[in-house]
Amino acid sequence: MATLRVDMVACEGIGQCALVAPGLVELDRWGFPVLLEVGAPSGPGGQAGRSGRSARERDAAARRAVRACPRRALWLEEAAHRPDVSAMYRIQVPGA
Amino acid sequence: MTPPTAAPPRTFDPSAAPTVPAARVTGDDRPRVDLLTADVMLPAGGSWMIPAPAEALAEHAARFGRLPSGAVGLLEAVEDAGLTGHGGGHVPVAAKWRRTLAGRGRLTVVANGAESEPWSAKDAVLLRLHPHLVLDGLALTAQALGAARAVVWLHDEEEPATVRAVTDALRERTRHGDCGPVVEVLVGPAHYLSGESSAVAQAVAGRRALPTARRPRPAGAPRTLVHNVETLARVALVARGPAAATRLLTVVGPAGRLVTEVERGSSLLDAMLAAGWRQGAGRPEGVLLGGYGGTWVSWADAARGSIDPGDPVGRLLGAGIVAPLARGACPVEATARIVEYLAGAGAGQCGPCVFGLPAIAASVRRLADGRPARAEVPRLTADLDAVAGRGACHHPDGVVGLVRSMRAVFGEHVAAHERGAGCWTEKGGL
Repeated sequence: MATLRVDMVACEGIGQCALVAPGLVELDRWGFPVLLEVGAPSGPGGQAGRSGRSARERDAAARRAVRACPRRALWLEEAAHRPDVSAMYRIQVPGA
Repeated sequence: MTPPTAAPPRTFDPSAAPTVPAARVTGDDRPRVDLLTADVMLPAGGSWMIPAPAEALAEHAARFGRLPSGAVGLLEAVEDAGLTGHGGGHVPVAAKWRRTLAGRGRLTVVANGAESEPWSAKDAVLLRLHPHLVLDGLALTAQALGAARAVVWLHDEEEPATVRAVTDALRERTRHGDCGPVVEVLVGPAHYLSGESSAVAQAVAGRRALPTARRPRPAGAPRTLVHNVETLARVALVARGPAAATRLLTVVGPAGRLVTEVERGSSLLDAMLAAGWRQGAGRPEGVLLGGYGGTWVSWADAARGSIDPGDPVGRLLGAGIVAPLARGACPVEATARIVEYLAGAGAGQCGPCVFGLPAIAASVRRLADGRPARAEVPRLTADLDAVAGRGACHHPDGVVGLVRSMRAVFGEHVAAHERGAGCWTEKGGL
């Protein structure tokens, strides 16, 4: 399954993505998208898509979001192509 | 945005004579090749004078042997040595090389000497005292990976001593018949993010030195491999045979910053004592590891920790930065100043960072002043969650880690500020 990704440099917080893919994209309090898919960067409520829709519906919504963005800030990415940076930057606080 | 007073002024003061402790005795018999020949103390008050002139090519060759010719098998040697990056991420070098070799676009290898962390000085010390070791590593890496370009990326300085050391060393190599790749020296802007690897990749491609998102690229797109200069110096050592597993640290001390080379398994406490800190009643309030975008740990945890990147404390050192907070200084005030600096030092590109960091900075500032707004801490928690992991680069994540660790390590202290009960320490930062 492809993962929806956002380029925050390109994003201007226009919000079309949240309009066409509710349940997959939410806007934070400044109007920037929070991707609610599994594997998306953590954010408020950022676990799984909470709508319980089928994978096909989710993919269709993700594609709608990609097409809707006037800044071309969104794309779909196969999981295997994502560079794993989590291990490089994991933060661990001793005694926390 | 006024930078916090914690940022050391980067001005030259030739009159202040830095002290050079005697070279350390290692105690065992195995061959040992160090990057630095001695620790370097950079006195507080702004001197960036480095005590010795750069090591000449002849001295360099006498100390390390000549540059090995031919780089076949270098990847395996680097992998066997377990070499990881020294720019902060601890990424295995061999893994980065394999990822690079999987592509086929025109390759640029970059020695990243843009030391953006205001406290860090180890890269500048290495480049000014031992530029040939870094240039050896750059040449070897470029040859091993078939790079079309080799670049040294540096910060613009008021007094360009690092740039001069590198360009002088390159001229010296040319005079002695350098058969390595042509090396370009690029001097970039001295902003906080100009050393971030995607920003460096942008800069060497002729664009502005700002971080970018890692979007999928066509198979033949130009490739850029960015290594910290200390990492490349270690590649040059590994290419010559077994090398000592050491790590360069910058330890902020009461009298100045100590740049020291330590064994990977050695204790962090020893490094802090060497920089002039004391245990017992006068011990520091806590220690900030990894620099401005780093992590607070308690003095007890730091004193128990080792330098090793595999150690829970050692992995937090990032680019090797250790900054104890003097007894009597307020950790909330220190954090507020740093967050204010970082909020103003972003690239201004990503919404969550542009809006989130000033909000976080304002929250921490109100806490530090003992004038919290209603529901200040829940709001701060929500803002931290809202920016974590959402930038194109890890700049906001540094702020999140710093503030979260402040709350974890100095919880009682933060609670007193939250109640507006004032602070039992003197006001003052690092």
